[in-house]
Amino acid sequence: MANLRIEHLYKRYGAAKVLNDVNLTMEDGEFVVLVGPSGCGKSTLLRMIAGLDGASGGDIHIAGKLVNTLAPAERGIAMVFQSYALYPHMNVRKNMTFGLKFTGVPPAERERRVAEAARMLRLEELLERYPRDLSGGQRQRVAIGRAIVREPAVFLFDEPLSNLDAALRVSTRVEIANLHRVLKATIVYVTHDQVEAMTLADRIVVMNKGCIEQVGKPLELYYAPANLFVAGFIGSPAMNFFEAKVERIEGGCARVAGAGFRSFDLPTTSLKVGDVLTVGVRPEHLARGTDGVFAVEGVVELVERLGESSFAYLRRADGRLFVAEVRGRQTPTPGERTTLTATTQDVHVFDASGFRVSMQNNS
Amino acid sequence: MKVEQRAGRFAVHLVLIAYCALAVGPILLVVMNSFKARNAIFGAPLAPPDAATFSLVGYEKVLRASNILTYYSNSLIVTLVSMALVLLFGAMAAWALTEYRFRGSTALALFLSIGIMVPIRLGSVAILNMMRSAGLNDTLTALILVYVAQGLPMSIFILSEFMQQIPKDLRDAARCDGVPETRIFFEVVAPLLRPAIATVAVFTVVPIWNDLWFPLILTSSDSTHTVTLGVQQFLGQYITDWNSVLAALSMAILPVVVIYVILSRQLIAGLTSGAVK
Amino acid sequence: MPEPVSHITAQMPRAKFVGLLLLFLGPAVAIYSLFSVYPLVATMALSTYTSDPSGARHFAGLANFETLLGDALWSKPFWNAFGNNLIFFAVHMCVQNPIGIALAGLLSLPGLKLKGLYRTVMFLPTMLSVVIVGFSWNLILSPLWGVAAGALKAVGLGSLFAPWLGLESSALVTLSLISVWQFVGIPMMLIYAALLNIPEELIDAARVDGLGHLRIFFHIKLPLVLPTISLISVLTFVANFNAFDLIYSVKGALAGPNFATDILGTLFYRTFFGNQLQLGNPTMGAAVATIMFFIILVGLCLYLFLVQRRIRRYAF
Repeated sequence: MANLRIEHLYKRYGAAKVLNDVNLTMEDGEFVVLVGPSGCGKSTLLRMIAGLDGASGGDIHIAGKLVNTLAPAERGIAMVFQSYALYPHMNVRKNMTFGLKFTGVPPAERERRVAEAARMLRLEELLERYPRDLSGGQRQRVAIGRAIVREPAVFLFDEPLSNLDAALRVSTRVEIANLHRVLKATIVYVTHDQVEAMTLADRIVVMNKGCIEQVGKPLELYYAPANLFVAGFIGSPAMNFFEAKVERIEGGCARVAGAGFRSFDLPTTSLKVGDVLTVGVRPEHLARGTDGVFAVEGVVELVERLGESSFAYLRRADGRLFVAEVRGRQTPTPGERTTLTATTQDVHVFDASGFRVSMQNNS
Repeated sequence: MKVEQRAGRFAVHLVLIAYCALAVGPILLVVMNSFKARNAIFGAPLAPPDAATFSLVGYEKVLRASNILTYYSNSLIVTLVSMALVLLFGAMAAWALTEYRFRGSTALALFLSIGIMVPIRLGSVAILNMMRSAGLNDTLTALILVYVAQGLPMSIFILSEFMQQIPKDLRDAARCDGVPETRIFFEVVAPLLRPAIATVAVFTVVPIWNDLWFPLILTSSDSTHTVTLGVQQFLGQYITDWNSVLAALSMAILPVVVIYVILSRQLIAGLTSGAVK
Repeated sequence: MPEPVSHITAQMPRAKFVGLLLLFLGPAVAIYSLFSVYPLVATMALSTYTSDPSGARHFAGLANFETLLGDALWSKPFWNAFGNNLIFFAVHMCVQNPIGIALAGLLSLPGLKLKGLYRTVMFLPTMLSVVIVGFSWNLILSPLWGVAAGALKAVGLGSLFAPWLGLESSALVTLSLISVWQFVGIPMMLIYAALLNIPEELIDAARVDGLGHLRIFFHIKLPLVLPTISLISVLTFVANFNAFDLIYSVKGALAGPNFATDILGTLFYRTFFGNQLQLGNPTMGAAVATIMFFIILVGLCLYLFLVQRRIRRYAF
């Protein structure tokens, strides 16, 4: 039985549609990440699952129960907030047990849960301290602990790592992944950082302007983005895009041509002559050399060296910039003219409305 | 620092010191002279009391002839109870208005804020009638009710502004935790209101303690007079008895000054934080 | 447009929500309505009645107001009091507020030492009861004690001294100045707080541009605190037209000498409660109160519509 089911959920503020016909199903124990740019509706969706904001229409089922009209406390959820939202005038122990008092959990049981959560999160020595005496990372763990003791059906995380510095973010990310493994919990996690999404999620939900763009496993989204938006959102640096057109159709293939790259053949039967297309290739899939179905030539303008891998910014024939990842100590020099190529499976083609064009022999 | 700057600064300090002298001088004068014998008051008014001229005769008279201690306790009761109620009811109302949006909540907020500007004294005619018919005439309760009504609008306004600064996540977390609404107010929000109490206190306590009008209108017997009214009537009665008059004034001044000096930091912080609208 | 309903409350059963609202809003709204709003409305209603010596009341519409404003017996004291109130207000606007602004400007100079001490001392008079202030100044200015006379003599201005509080020509202005002395602290503190809010960088930029402190004050600081100044003006207006305590404690209900210090507040008190010269007249008193209310209301509306609209709040 699915643990979280959302059907035709939408939300309107006046005339603005903030969430538009959202449908999502989550299995028990799954780690689902909602990711997208600011304003895409991911936090709104999370808050509606929690019951903190009301839906304009649609249904939410948690653990098989319809929860539309239930208060947050009755839905079997626990939420970890971006700002941790710890009660400043209560110590860590009180912070974690405060809510349990009101849900009828007996004192002995409360103590047991706190001890267990403290052990899991290494909070045992901090139980008597107050939030103001804790570091950001410690506060984060207390917030997580507060959620754990509720033993909810679904955990909700609202951008929990945004307030941490870079190093702490990485270590806390690992801790959250560990927690998921140990607790086998169902987690809905909101973030704008696609690296967090890729590393933590069982499945990613990419959202944009209130709609779900694509749902899938991280590598599915990486290797087979369903549309332009997902292609450009997942992966850093972002995918390179080239405007293109279908020149002619010949023998089951479409010849794709555009400024700046060598025309190539696409094994597809779903296109017509004159169709406008966008071709996408990731920086990490462009290699120096001349073999490969896709080839683009450009003049190197800037090289960012990050150690073993570097990013070269090249200007192509139509005047636009594109990025290629170069590995090794030998990096191109600015001013150099060079050709980069990619293989068939690393070339993504999108039609005029931004949807992926299906091809015969690859996904 | 350059010479001109130093001279400029010196001038600034001069002006400020001069004004301070003007502000504090009269008070010092009164208090100083209250400790002197009568002829010393007139003979050398600007001189501080010394061994020869020191005298407590004024104070003795005041304590004997008036109920100043009763007045103090009345003022204290009225002020403290009023402030407590203004804080409690004001905070509860501010919470409901900022947190629970419902049909008419803006209108209600507007209704309540009218009282900030419009003086309650103008309704004294009706207030007196109401108190008389309720049998509350000449009681401290009448004063408390009136002062609470007077202090609520400002307190609700200040506390609403303050509550909006309490992170929304905190209330959401409490709701997710399953804390019932009333407990959220009393156990999560209320403890965080401490800084605002200073601001509310400044705007509430001082006008109540120093008020002459309502004690004058609503209390008639000596035993319910407040300090302000009691001193005013004593002064009127003993106007030629300079020792007693000065002593009475000093007895009214000193407690306020002492408390003010002790709390001045919080008081001024409260005023400057709440005043920035 | 109907108000959006909070989701939290939408999930609650209606009875529970109403109960919550009653609990939280009930006490405040009840006390406020009962002891603030209702009396005001009742007083305004009362002002439309006249009473005769037997205590009976008859509905008279606006008759009281006609009498108050037109009948010489009533209107002379009324217009006298109104005029005095205007003088009282003018003195405050011309003396209290500029001094308060100037002091605030001085206090906000960067790096001023003893700032806290100055602030505390200068705000002290505001904490005192008006009774104390009035009486103390009465003593100090009294020719009997001679303190003020002596002080003036010491700086060679002895001939200037006069029993100002006792003279018809100077009593009102003297009382106004005493009130200014007491309440300068309030505009001072409010402007000080507003000046603190001006970002340091603006002042630094002006210093780099070469402006001296005085220029900075007049061209940068003052314009930016204009909203606060207008707020203070309106507060002064309301407070002055509501004033009573000082005049009463120094001069009594008759506001002598010869009604020279009579303002609307003392007129109201006298009319309603009576004194040795006349019987109390509750309905006329109510009429005076109603007129005071409308004067204050007009002032507030003028402020809201004329000033508030024009003053832009500068976003930093």
